[in-house]
Amino acid sequence: MERKTIELDQGWDYMHKGIKKLRRILEGLPEPPFTSEEYMMLYTTIYNMCTQKPPYDYSQQLYDKYREAFEEYITSTVLPSLREKHDEFMLRELVKRWGNHKVMVRWLSRFFHYLDRYFIARRSLPALNEVGLTCFRDLVYQEVCAKVKDAVIALIDKEREGDQIDRALLKNVLDIFVEIGMGQMDRYENDFEEDLLQDTSAYYSRKASSWIEEDSCPEYMLKSEECLRKERERVSHYLHSSSETKLLEKVQHELLVTYANRLLEKEHSGCRALLRDDKVEDLSRMYRLYCKIPRGLEPVANVFKQHVTAEGTALVQQAEDAASNAPGVQEQVLIRKIIKLHDKYMAYVTDCFQNHTLFHKALKEAFEVFCNKTVTGSSSAELLATFCDNILKKGGSEKLSDEAIEETLEKVVKLLAYISDKDLFAEFYRKKLARRLLFDRSANDDHERSILTKLKQQCGGQFTSKMEGMVTDLTLARENQASFEDYLRSNSAAHPGIDLTVTVLTTGFWPSYKSFDLNLPAEMVKCVEVFKGFYETKTKHRKLTWIYSLGTCQINGKFDQKSIELIVSTYQAAVLLLFNSSDRLSYSEIMAQLNLNHDDLVRLLHSLSCAKYKILSKEPNTKTISQSDYFEFNSKFTDKLRRIKVWDSFSAVFFLMLFSLLVVCIYWDEKDLNFVNLSLC
Amino acid sequence: MKRKDTVKLISADEMEFVIDKDAVMVSQTIRNLLTSPGGFAETKLGEVTFPEISAVILERICQYFYWALQYSRGKETEFHIEPELTLELMMAANYLHT
Repeated sequence: MERKTIELDQGWDYMHKGIKKLRRILEGLPEPPFTSEEYMMLYTTIYNMCTQKPPYDYSQQLYDKYREAFEEYITSTVLPSLREKHDEFMLRELVKRWGNHKVMVRWLSRFFHYLDRYFIARRSLPALNEVGLTCFRDLVYQEVCAKVKDAVIALIDKEREGDQIDRALLKNVLDIFVEIGMGQMDRYENDFEEDLLQDTSAYYSRKASSWIEEDSCPEYMLKSEECLRKERERVSHYLHSSSETKLLEKVQHELLVTYANRLLEKEHSGCRALLRDDKVEDLSRMYRLYCKIPRGLEPVANVFKQHVTAEGTALVQQAEDAASNAPGVQEQVLIRKIIKLHDKYMAYVTDCFQNHTLFHKALKEAFEVFCNKTVTGSSSAELLATFCDNILKKGGSEKLSDEAIEETLEKVVKLLAYISDKDLFAEFYRKKLARRLLFDRSANDDHERSILTKLKQQCGGQFTSKMEGMVTDLTLARENQASFEDYLRSNSAAHPGIDLTVTVLTTGFWPSYKSFDLNLPAEMVKCVEVFKGFYETKTKHRKLTWIYSLGTCQINGKFDQKSIELIVSTYQAAVLLLFNSSDRLSYSEIMAQLNLNHDDLVRLLHSLSCAKYKILSKEPNTKTISQSDYFEFNSKFTDKLRRIKVWDSFSAVFFLMLFSLLVVCIYWDEKDLNFVNLSLC
Repeated sequence: MKRKDTVKLISADEMEFVIDKDAVMVSQTIRNLLTSPGGFAETKLGEVTFPEISAVILERICQYFYWALQYSRGKETEFHIEPELTLELMMAANYLHT
């Protein structure tokens, strides 16, 4: 197939006609679209001109002419049309021209496609596509970009003031900025974004300075939140996504960072006031706004901490003041109130402040401040222990359901975390626990174990090991007692004649108890021996030490009017039993027989003769015990109850080191302890 | 066969070849033509004229299109070219960017 050589001018002439046709189509003039034949011809022309043998190989010239075609079109038609328009009209024209240009590039590069395949690579020249875009950029964009940018920013500000603008138009315009970068964002950033950010800062700075004067904190925050939302929306509608963080950062800076202090410190509506008035929603908003700002939450957390501390301290002060009126009750009320306070502000931390560590820390520090204050001379550790005791003992001041108790115990344990001398708490708790266990005042075993588990989780096994030992001891003691009773049944000769219940405790677990020996009445001595015998059959290598101070006895007193059951301590029982053999005894005789010291004896005798129940009558009938007094059994004594408890003022808290491995507490039970005129039943 | 899925290629000596659109897209040039913006009156009819390609070559080219499709789908066979056609075939291929 022979091909005619095409001369440059000739060939170009043909091409030029095609280009003109294209231009007419773009201008919207009536022109039939290209047929495939025309297309092929144009393509073929280029092809042939490039594949001809030199010197008819016109690749270079065609490449140049390609560019010139654009330049010519732009300078003659595009630029003038843009220059004569302004603002929004200019933007529209620009978008239209850009669209057209892209179409033109596509068509021409298709026609000239052959150049792209070999020529540009060989000469390392930019591709046709790039050439086309570069023409537009250098001739059109360069000239108008400043004006365009100003027009766009003006429209954005208009929208900020509340007017409606053509968002699609803006999107198209900004797309030009992006596309003209040809892969890089530098055009968008330098020619547009930079100024946008500046303008945004200025705009919001103006707004903020007037709002901060007029608005309350919640109102200001609402407006800020709204602004941020709108700006975010703006980005999604027509700005490039890369602008989002920068834009929001500017807005945040002007609205929130610059005026942070003024905002938070606002007299009647600032952070402090919001906390005071429990404005949960506003506080949540505050958190949301400031959490994105680096270190923005610190002042808020600080105010929070101060507020909680103040509230807590006020509660403590209240309790302190009121304690003079009703001692004992106020402490319990205080603990309850502190628990409530904790619940309230913990809820704030989890809800408003989204569990942020800063706020957890603030809450913790606040509580640590006032939880360690003493109230009416008692440390918080003691108060807390007393509170627990009230819940756990029978007939305590709190009457709650099982779940309520569980819940409260959990909260108490949480409060413990804030108390600095936890060991002190452990000591107080242990003593009260001992009392509950030994005198059977514990309301519910499960609760006892439950709180120990919680304490163990919070403070470690070391903390609760002794307490757990105590609880276990009680369980073992019950089993022990059962085998003791079996033992007695099988050895009736060994039976002491009195019902005896013994609780065996392990030293080390229990608080130390002082117990001084006294001369036991014969009946009791026998009991001790019997139990010792039994115990040796069970375990050797253990030493028993008896703590009489914790024991109780039940004695049947046959008074003239009626018999009354007396519940007394072991020591009191010992005194009373002396009157089984003598009618009248002097102070010194009693002392000699029992071998007690003066202080203890005076106390004992006082409880039996000068207190509420006068079991013994005293000569002379004074209110105090003197060493020259004489005592007699008071047969005239009576009471409307059949069973009375005679208090002994011994307390069980002494600190003595005990060498024995085991400490035994005797719990004497009833039946036939003789007491004057009493017959063996 | 529907009109839409086929294209008619017309050689210099007015021989017509009706090919599947998929096959024809193997040629970059033809693909450009058919996907150009603006839409041709003719692309709707799906006809392309090649005033410089003879029927013999065009025929061989059509066969090549189908072979290329098959090859890309995994069927690796050989495409035999008669030596006397080689030069013209190559030039046509260059022209069509195939």
